[in-house]
Amino acid sequence: MSVRLILLLSHALFALGVYGVLTRRHAIGLLLSIELILNAAALNFVLFSRAFGHVEAQAFALFIIALAACEAVVGLAIVIGLARHAHTVFADQVDLLKG
Amino acid sequence: MTPALLWIPLLPLAAFALLITCGRRLAPPVAGWVAVAALAASAGATLALAEPVLRGQRLAVRWAWLSAGDPRWALGLAVDGLSWLMLAVVTGVGTMIACYSIGYMRGDPRYPRFFAYLALFCASMLGLVLADHFLLLYACWELVGLCSYLLISFWFEKPAAAAAGRKAFITTRIGDAGLLAGILWLAWAGGTLQFDALAGLRETLSHGLLTAISLLIFLGAVGKSAQVPLHVWLPDAMEGPTPVSALIHAATMVAAGIYLVARTLPLFTPESLQVVLAVGLLTHLAAGTVALTMTDIKRVLAYSTISQLGLMMTALGLGAAALAMFHLTTHACFKALLFLGAGSVIHATHEQELGRLGGLRRAMPWTAAVFLIAAVSMSGVFPLSGFWSKDAILLAAQHDGPPWLLGALLAGAVMTTAYVFRLYLRCFHGAPAPHAGHESPLIMVLPMAVLALGAAAVGLAGSPWLAHPLLHLLGLTQIHAGIDVPILLWSTLAAAAGLWLAWSVGVRRARPLPAALRPLGTRLYTWAANKYYVDEWYQRLIIGPYLAAARGLSRFDLRVIDGAVDGAGLAGRALAVWKERFDRLVVDRLVNGTASAVRLAGAGLRWVQTGIVHQYLLVVVVAVVVVSLVLK
Repeated sequence: MSVRLILLLSHALFALGVYGVLTRRHAIGLLLSIELILNAAALNFVLFSRAFGHVEAQAFALFIIALAACEAVVGLAIVIGLARHAHTVFADQVDLLKG
Repeated sequence: MTPALLWIPLLPLAAFALLITCGRRLAPPVAGWVAVAALAASAGATLALAEPVLRGQRLAVRWAWLSAGDPRWALGLAVDGLSWLMLAVVTGVGTMIACYSIGYMRGDPRYPRFFAYLALFCASMLGLVLADHFLLLYACWELVGLCSYLLISFWFEKPAAAAAGRKAFITTRIGDAGLLAGILWLAWAGGTLQFDALAGLRETLSHGLLTAISLLIFLGAVGKSAQVPLHVWLPDAMEGPTPVSALIHAATMVAAGIYLVARTLPLFTPESLQVVLAVGLLTHLAAGTVALTMTDIKRVLAYSTISQLGLMMTALGLGAAALAMFHLTTHACFKALLFLGAGSVIHATHEQELGRLGGLRRAMPWTAAVFLIAAVSMSGVFPLSGFWSKDAILLAAQHDGPPWLLGALLAGAVMTTAYVFRLYLRCFHGAPAPHAGHESPLIMVLPMAVLALGAAAVGLAGSPWLAHPLLHLLGLTQIHAGIDVPILLWSTLAAAAGLWLAWSVGVRRARPLPAALRPLGTRLYTWAANKYYVDEWYQRLIIGPYLAAARGLSRFDLRVIDGAVDGAGLAGRALAVWKERFDRLVVDRLVNGTASAVRLAGAGLRWVQTGIVHQYLLVVVVAVVVVSLVLK
């Protein structure tokens, strides 16, 4: 597998994540899309670590996995709070911050 | 002996304190007796001092008053012959008058207060006499003035009495200002205000300075002793209760001026003595003529007091302090008696106009008798008190004065007899008046009897028969020995002439003047009856312009000062109106404008905040893409 191919894969993942974030209405779908974006970044770190022989970048990948886990916890908590208070899990139905 | 000295002024003062604080709780006669007891005790203390004083001793108490630097100021009380005599007069006559007042003031609503003032009056006079220092004397001098004000306007419901009290206070204040200036000048120039140091100052101070200081001090005496031109308060002071008049005229107030001059006589230079002589003689004669024309009993007596004080001042002007004090003593007795007699008449008849009185001799035998004794004594008839003191002054005038002085004083003596007998004859003789009098109660007659004894016999203490003990007491060494027969004859002649005048002109209304002189006589009479228009002249020359100036100043105050103040207020208000407008139109609009600008901007920008997460994310993504394209 060449570097170019894997780079293409990570870009595709990122693009998919951005598309999902912009189009998904369901809050959990949003969280999943963010997960995709984060993993695209992690894949890039691992790829460039292999390609240029830097070990530090792999540490960043580990950080990103931990971060993603935390993010999922907080995000899911928010989703549950949303479901309890607003009785919905659709992001576009909640516009308390409308000016 | 020293404690007795302190008790003399303190006892009446204590009586004053007691009566003014809880006098209302005492039954009316008790309040009177408290004052009488205090004064009698003072008189007793004075008598206790008699023995050493008569031996020529000088008793003194002194305490440090101000010890800052040098000279140290000390205050003290001292008794020598001069002040002892005054003490005896004040306490003796004061006791009799207080005793008399118990009867006279019966039923007055402010009975205890009257005796409180009376006690304070006597206390301050005693302090004045005992002071060995100008400052203490001045303080007591002012207290005497205050008490005279309180007592003259005692019946302040009468507007005339209130005005008379005010007049007495203000008139004597003019003299007091002179006295104060003299004292300050003396302290500044001489460095001491002790009376026993005055003789020493005569050598150290210059002649002109002494003249000026002594004349200023004399001004104080002129005010207090009612000499021309400050005599106007005394006749008006008759508005007070009659015992007060007696006290003022005999013992306390007017005697203070004579005492002051006698005490400070070492300061007087020949020039200032000339002034004293001139003022005294003028007062003696002018007041005598006025007394001849007055028709109110008390006013006759008031002018007679002024006249007799003038005689004393004349004696002082001759340098004969001892003779002046001698006359003051005898005068105190017979003048107090005359006033108490007049008070008795007023008490019985409620009338003091001579025209509506007469024939009271039968209804009031005791009053008539003591009045006659006082009148005879005052006329200087041998051998009553008035004779000895008056003749001593006549003798001094003959020896030490200019040749015409004796004649002037004899003329004064004629007038004295004339007015006092005119008063006596018209009051107690002649057709009985409609007011049926009755004799006064014993409490009033008894003091009069004691004073009558004094009026008859006190003069003997200064007579050659008893070898002049009184004059020795006053420090007089050269005394005309024996009775001077020509003077005796002259004064008897004067008294007889006065009596004849009183009878023929005063009572029977004869017209002794030849027809050619009658218009002149009428004019002189009108002048005297109007008191030489002194009050009117004061009104026109001093009081009127003063009031006009005050009115002018008041108008200035009203127009200019008040105008300026009001103008400043109006200007401030106008400024405030403008400021308010500025505030409203500019400052408020700026603030409100800022707020509305922000509100408008918010309204414009609020559509950006949709609250929909996707739109925010879209903006972020687009922005990142644009930025990365731009930064490439």
